[in-house]
Amino acid sequence: MTTRTGIVHEIAARRAADLERDLAGRSRTELERLAAAAPPPRPIAERLAEPGLHLIAEIKRASPSAGAIAADTDPIARARAYEAGGAAAISVLCEPHWFGGSVDDLVAVRGAVSVPVVAKEFVVDRRQLPLLRAAGADVVLLLAVLHPARRLASLVRAALDLGLEPLVEAHDAGELERALATDARLVGVNNRDLRTLEVDPERAVRLRDAIPGDRLAVAESGVRDAAVLAGWRAVGYDAALVGEALMRSPDPRATAASFVAAGRMPADPAASDRVPFVKICGVTDEAGALAAVRAGADAIGLNLAPGTPRELSLAEAAGLAAVVRAAATPGHRPQIVAITVDADAEALRAIVAAVDPDAIQLHGDESPGQAAAAGRPVWRAIRVPVGATPDDVGPILDEASVWSAAGAERILLDASGGPHPGGTGRRIDPAVAAAVAREVPVLLAGGLDPTSVSDAVLAVPAIGVDVAGGAERPREPGVRPVKDPLRVALFVKRARAARWDRPQSPARPTPVPAGLLEADATGRWGIDRAFGGRYVPETLVAALVQLEDAYAAVRDDPRFWSEFRELLGRFAGRPTPLYRADRWAADALARARASGGSADHRAGDGGADREPLPSRLRVYLKREDLAHTGAHKINNALGQALLTRRLGKTRVIAETGAGQHGVATATACALLGIPCVVYMGAEDVERQAPNVSRMRSLGAEVIPVTSGSATLKDAINEAMRDWVTNVATTHYVLGSAMGPHPYPTIVRDLQRVIGDEAAAQLAFVEGRLPDLVLACVGGGSNAIGLLSRFIGEPSVRLALAEAAGDGIPTGRHAAALLGGSPGILHGARSLMLQDADGQVVEAHSLSAGLDYPGVGPQIAALYEAGRLEVAAATDAEAVEAVEWVTRTEGILPALETAHAFAVLPRLLARTDRPAQDGWSPFIAPWPEEAIVLVGLSGRGDKDLAAIARWEAAVAAGAAR
Amino acid sequence: MTARDGPGRITDAFASARAAGRLALVPYVVAGYPDEATSFRAALAAIDAGADLLEGGLPYSDPLADGATLQRASATALANGATLERSLALLERIAAARPTVPLVPMGYANQLIGGGDGAARARALADAGASGVIVADLTPDEGGPFERAARAVGLAVVYLVAPTTTAERRSWVASRSSGFLYCVSLVGVTGARASLPASVGRLVRDVRAVSPVPVAVGFGVSRPAHVRAIARTGADGVIVASALVDALGPDGTDLAGFTRLVTALRDATAS
Repeated sequence: MTTRTGIVHEIAARRAADLERDLAGRSRTELERLAAAAPPPRPIAERLAEPGLHLIAEIKRASPSAGAIAADTDPIARARAYEAGGAAAISVLCEPHWFGGSVDDLVAVRGAVSVPVVAKEFVVDRRQLPLLRAAGADVVLLLAVLHPARRLASLVRAALDLGLEPLVEAHDAGELERALATDARLVGVNNRDLRTLEVDPERAVRLRDAIPGDRLAVAESGVRDAAVLAGWRAVGYDAALVGEALMRSPDPRATAASFVAAGRMPADPAASDRVPFVKICGVTDEAGALAAVRAGADAIGLNLAPGTPRELSLAEAAGLAAVVRAAATPGHRPQIVAITVDADAEALRAIVAAVDPDAIQLHGDESPGQAAAAGRPVWRAIRVPVGATPDDVGPILDEASVWSAAGAERILLDASGGPHPGGTGRRIDPAVAAAVAREVPVLLAGGLDPTSVSDAVLAVPAIGVDVAGGAERPREPGVRPVKDPLRVALFVKRARAARWDRPQSPARPTPVPAGLLEADATGRWGIDRAFGGRYVPETLVAALVQLEDAYAAVRDDPRFWSEFRELLGRFAGRPTPLYRADRWAADALARARASGGSADHRAGDGGADREPLPSRLRVYLKREDLAHTGAHKINNALGQALLTRRLGKTRVIAETGAGQHGVATATACALLGIPCVVYMGAEDVERQAPNVSRMRSLGAEVIPVTSGSATLKDAINEAMRDWVTNVATTHYVLGSAMGPHPYPTIVRDLQRVIGDEAAAQLAFVEGRLPDLVLACVGGGSNAIGLLSRFIGEPSVRLALAEAAGDGIPTGRHAAALLGGSPGILHGARSLMLQDADGQVVEAHSLSAGLDYPGVGPQIAALYEAGRLEVAAATDAEAVEAVEWVTRTEGILPALETAHAFAVLPRLLARTDRPAQDGWSPFIAPWPEEAIVLVGLSGRGDKDLAAIARWEAAVAAGAAR
Repeated sequence: MTARDGPGRITDAFASARAAGRLALVPYVVAGYPDEATSFRAALAAIDAGADLLEGGLPYSDPLADGATLQRASATALANGATLERSLALLERIAAARPTVPLVPMGYANQLIGGGDGAARARALADAGASGVIVADLTPDEGGPFERAARAVGLAVVYLVAPTTTAERRSWVASRSSGFLYCVSLVGVTGARASLPASVGRLVRDVRAVSPVPVAVGFGVSRPAHVRAIARTGADGVIVASALVDALGPDGTDLAGFTRLVTALRDATAS
């Protein structure tokens, strides 16, 4: 117990003295009778268990830290304004001496609003509880700092007995431990130390993980603006209690509304694509079924297995199915799944007839051959022994693939070992579950509950989760278990929130070698880890290690990704549209036919590299040209500018070729107020004059680089030299997914939003994955950003278009994949253009953004593994494609992007086969209706002058 | 050829200088700058003026650790036809003409390792008479395979430590460096400087305390006064590069000026 000094104990002592006076002669029975006569309490827990962070808005006339805030406020008007702004509850200060509050205020507010009211009181005597309930309080604050553990627990029980929902507030780990030892469902963390009144704005964030997921977590104090609330939402708080910031607002309704908005789950197609499917299994009563529907569960399991604890009769199951159908919003109804164990054909027919389920879950020793006889789509539960180790996954994977082949719609992994199939309440070793879930799509079951589900979906790339016992009320012997509606709601909420602000968490199987997906600890990529690494002067190692450490923390920090998303949305215009380019697609297909591809899908006799073309083609363009500054580069620049702030660095440098990355970085720096220096090859400064003006307008210093070939590679050299010299104060915002570890990972992570969004958008309009994903590639940031989401999808072909310049055979090109060899450039081993001496060979491309002699290491690894098809377009072909796309679609693409358009007809006709054979099992025939996703990386206005010059030069050459 | 002991020859050269009560002087000559013949004469002049070891720069297209002087020298050498083969032939001629002074070429990772482990290059360097090699953008983190290849042919792999290198890492890098350890005096690229950072004394003492091999200080060392200051730090040697390239004059042919500076630097090593 801490020493009883400080302002909070002073207040408590004064309150105790007040009570001696006010409660003299009043018996507990009398007080409890008053409480019982009060109107019934308004529930708060279910509201806070809904998605997002909810606002508890406080009425506080004064405080010991701030003095008088709004002494003569009208509590009724203010409470109504809060409610109109969307507050989930109103908190009313009842303490008179320091806070100017009163129980009269509480009574007035309770009568004026319909949301629950929190009594913000210093409870020192349990007789206060019935008094507050009698005044209408629905929730009561209990301060852990004032009470030893046993008294705190008994106050909580006393409050619950009265129907008062206790909110137990802690401010440090010790108090939190006492709070969690009580039965309180609402646990608060106050950033303010009530003994000293000091505010530590990070305290609530630090302590969030100490609060189990089956409690409702409330953060308090230190709200400067709505962004604080967005951060609390991202780290998993269910509510924020805000006082002073609202009391000082001249327009409390508007301020409350802005805080409520900041707490909502932000719209994000890419995030929704990571959300796991949630099944609430073993529902046994109407309340449980309704809770699952209300929480938005994707499926409800009704157990028809005889002899199991949650067994329902056919009539009961039919009744619950009817409840679900009646309660659900059309189009959002949870699937109804009948759980069976070794049921015979007759029993299954009876179940289908009575319950009419959407699926039958086979949970016993059924054979795959029985799947067809079930009469409904089959879900198969594969039982995994609790003691299984990652070495045991082989048979599990075999079983899963046999069932998938037999037509099972979903596969569940459930822990076995108890007396009944399923429902053991025990968990599968996460390493085993992860090893299976990396290979096949599974729902994870067994021992999950609202507290464990978040960690489980972060550790295991399962596509869904299943809960039974973990969402129930405490078991009573001999009584059929029933769901706890709050635990059901919290399970769904925690499962859905876990990956929302963690875009790097795998959410589905990725059955490809790990080295194609992530770098190892030394930054190496590839099946043999042959690419990447960190080849830099010793001076830079410390900075790269610092960056690596800082980024490792950021990668797991939902607040970073939440802030990043918010900037991408509010500032950069994300999500960018996914546009279906029908006129161009028809033209492209016609060109493919003309180039020799077969139009007859069934013929299949066109020779080794002449396979049938699709009959229909839909091409979707991911419109990064519509992102702010006109290209995908802004994604990386904003992310790294945020990272610069985290690193505590005060200056940014960048390199740029075409100027797009320079403009994006200058823009991000202008937004965040960071001085910015951009290195640009002198030749590019000349070629891209408009972008130089843009950068200078944005306040960046543009330094022309005259060394070497005076292009992008030399700009990178010069930026590295600057970094070597100014490393203590400067962050180098590298523009592509290349360079020394950890840059390829950082830039890929910041750009993967392109493909994550596109996959979700495509699923929305087409309901499936694309057949081919195509991007242009220079260093590779837009390419890897688009491709990342699809690397682990075996049905999706991946293709890149390189710049062939004057043609690869001329040696004047920028095709590091098709025309390069392994080497070390700009800090990493990859594929590059070089001579026999290891001298870097200048790249040649009219497109400044592709005019680079190297490529990022992950792309080199994908190419060498055979996971990529690579084609190349010459300057002439790219220029022609710019006009082609512009005239057919009204979209002027960047010259870089045009390389992708130029090669698509060839890819359709498959005259560009993968150059490397070996590992890739991915080549499948085109379907009748093919879907191609093309990354439209940027807009082409910037290139018009260069194209005009090029065309004039070509015409002059032809005239000679 | 008999088995070579590059690391031993290098440490012996440092030991002889120390026995004579002075710093070892390691001048730097860019192979092929401004042309092959002049750089050969410059190398011999440096040795004859008192070099204890000679560092030979292998011209590279993208020398990102180098400042303006060495970038320009590299580019000129390449423009005048420098290739790795010719640089190696030049080394061989220097070694034949002045067999007692160890030669330590300096290059970049892609020239020496590239897409492989560097074994062929290490052998070629050793065959040309090099005792060790410095790779500007190679640290022990990535250097394992190249070290093995170099060891097999008796070639020392010299690593660098910088002011930004943490104390823990310093010991690790020193333990991996053979022949000597290259102590980078400042946070920055190569290039002549008017003065050395005040922190260099502390840095050298810290590095020397953990290094099992001799410690030579480079980057920014330009004048006899700098050499005298470095001698006071307890270093074993001093490396002078950009200032000597500057001393060759704008067209790279002022061998007299070059020799005067080497002589002055050598005189300063004894203070």
